[in-house]
Parts: sequence; C-alpha cells; structure tokens
Amino acid sequence: MNTKPFLLTAAIVLIAASSGCDTVNTVQRAQPIGQRQMIADKRIITDASLNRIARIVGINETTGPGGFVKVQVELLNVSSDPQSFSYKFEWFDLNGMQVNTPTSTFIPRQIEARESIFISSIAPSANAKDFRLKLITSHP
Amino acid sequence: MKTQPIFTLLSFAVVLLVAGCAQQATYVDPSGPRVVTTVGNINIQDYANAAETMINSLIESVINAGKLKAPAGQPSMLAISRIVNNTTQQIDTDLLVKKIRVALNKTGKVVTTTTFGLGGQAEDPLAQGIQQQTDFFAGKKIARLPDYSLSGKIIEQRERYGDIRQSSYVFQLSLTDKTGVAVWEEEKTITKQGKRAAVGF
Repeated sequence: MNTKPFLLTAAIVLIAASSGCDTVNTVQRAQPIGQRQMIADKRIITDASLNRIARIVGINETTGPGGFVKVQVELLNVSSDPQSFSYKFEWFDLNGMQVNTPTSTFIPRQIEARESIFISSIAPSANAKDFRLKLITSHP
Repeated sequence: MKTQPIFTLLSFAVVLLVAGCAQQATYVDPSGPRVVTTVGNINIQDYANAAETMINSLIESVINAGKLKAPAGQPSMLAISRIVNNTTQQIDTDLLVKKIRVALNKTGKVVTTTTFGLGGQAEDPLAQGIQQQTDFFAGKKIARLPDYSLSGKIIEQRERYGDIRQSSYVFQLSLTDKTGVAVWEEEKTITKQGKRAAVGF
C-alpha cells in the first residue's frame, strides 16, 4: 500500500492546525536601561491549568516619594490559545490587617497565546506594605 | 381500591416539587468574578474596574509623586464638579465617583468637601449651614476653598457585526487645580462583546 499520500495529507493538516494558533512575537532592547527590583515570592497553585494561562514570571516593586508601594507582576500565557482570566490585588498594613477599598475588585484580562503581560497595583495607603495577588480563570 | 389517599399524596408531591424548583435568590460578592455581565449596560463591576484604574493612576501620578498641593499640615481638599453622562443609560455617576472619593480619603492625603458644589449646590446643605455659622462666629470672612476639582465624562460607543454586539464605555476624569490647570487626566475604556447576557467575565 502506498502511504505517501496519507503522510502528505497528515503533514498538511498538521501545518494547517499549527498555523491556526496566533502567537505573539516581541522585540525589546537587549540591555534594558531600567532595572527591575525583583522580590522573592511565595506561590500557592491550586489550578494547574490557570498556571499555564497566566504563569507568574516575576514580581518587582518600587516605592515612590510619597511612600506608596507599587507592585508589578509579569504573567506569561504558555498555552497556544488566547485565554481570559481575572485578577485582584489585596493589600495589608504593617500589622498584617487587610486594607479594604471599594475599588478592590476582580479585573478581567485577556492574554494572547504565548504573550507576556504586566499587571500592576499601587498600595491604597502609605501604610499598606504587603500584598497578595489572586488569579482566577474567567468563564464566558 | 380507594384512590383518594394516593391522589392526596401525589398532589403534595407535585406541590413540593414545584416549590423546590422555584428560583432562589443568592448573595454574590460584588467584587468577585461571579456577578452578572451584560453587553448593553455598565455593570457594577465595570464601575469598580474603572475606579480601580483611576485611583491607581491618581495615587501614582499625583499623590505618590509628591505633587499634591495643600496648606501646611493639612490634607488637600477636593470638590466634585460635573461628571457628564454621555451614554444612552440613566446612570448615577456616584457609582464611579464615590469609590474614588472613598479611596482618596483612605490615603489620608485628600479629603472631599460636601459644602462646596457646582452652582452653589452643596451636597450636604446642613453641613453648609453649620460651616457658614461657624465661620461667621469665628469672624472668618472667606472659608477655605477646595485645592482641586474633579470633573469627567462617561461615553458610550456601540457596534454590531452580524450577531455580535459590542459596547464600549469610556470613563474620562480630570483633576484641576486652583490655577485652572488639569494636573492629572486619565481615561479607561471597558469593552464588552457578546450575543446575550452572560454570567461571569
């Protein structure tokens, strides 16, 4: 039996399927001028699939002249499909007590295949020094 | 065979079944991911989302940058100006503005006046009366004027392509100082797409 036509068809199907995934290409300065102040983090992963959709690459922080801490989290979608998720930052004061504000809410975001994005939050007061980021998969 | 007890039992069962199927209301966290999302309306989470962006930007650009102006030892005073609703919906702009006011108040750097309003209309007329009397008896000729005013606009843009409906809501805010210069401006666009109302983001 001549298997060549079958192999050729299979190859075409594979190429077509793979070209259907639109992934993100990026370019940036080889040696960035700005240096990120990375911080050590503790992660609790309860949803492995979400960890593929929005994988935490790193967290950096800065404090402005007003004493407010700003954190920035880099997320990477390691899957081959565009995905949706929601995130929420919670802030805590020096005594570990949560600082509630009416603007603290889950914010929906979309992330393209293999795309890296940054999400950030600024402390609601100068006393808020610690934070926690919550991520959840969005269902349509 | 006596069928009456069977019919009675059956009717009870049917009643119980119907009552059991009745829709029950449940509480959901308004800041959580399980609130109702609709394409044609600004939902409660959209206001919170827009307010979050606004307050983050305001703290970062003005408060944390040390650019906030105020009399020595006092927090800056903010007055709320006109927030124009340019959408097709009847909305209460306080759903956006109050969140920002509360968040600013919690920074400890900004307070909002409730006695100085657009066109002389005080948000709290009783407080305005008390302030006027206090100033009169204290011999004050001019009350402290707000250091900043907050104004803005909410704009709606709708699109339709086949069965797909898309609504965009643009939230614009400006903070103007006493000299009339807009020292901070921000814009947040929330776009929603769908065919019908859906639950979740």
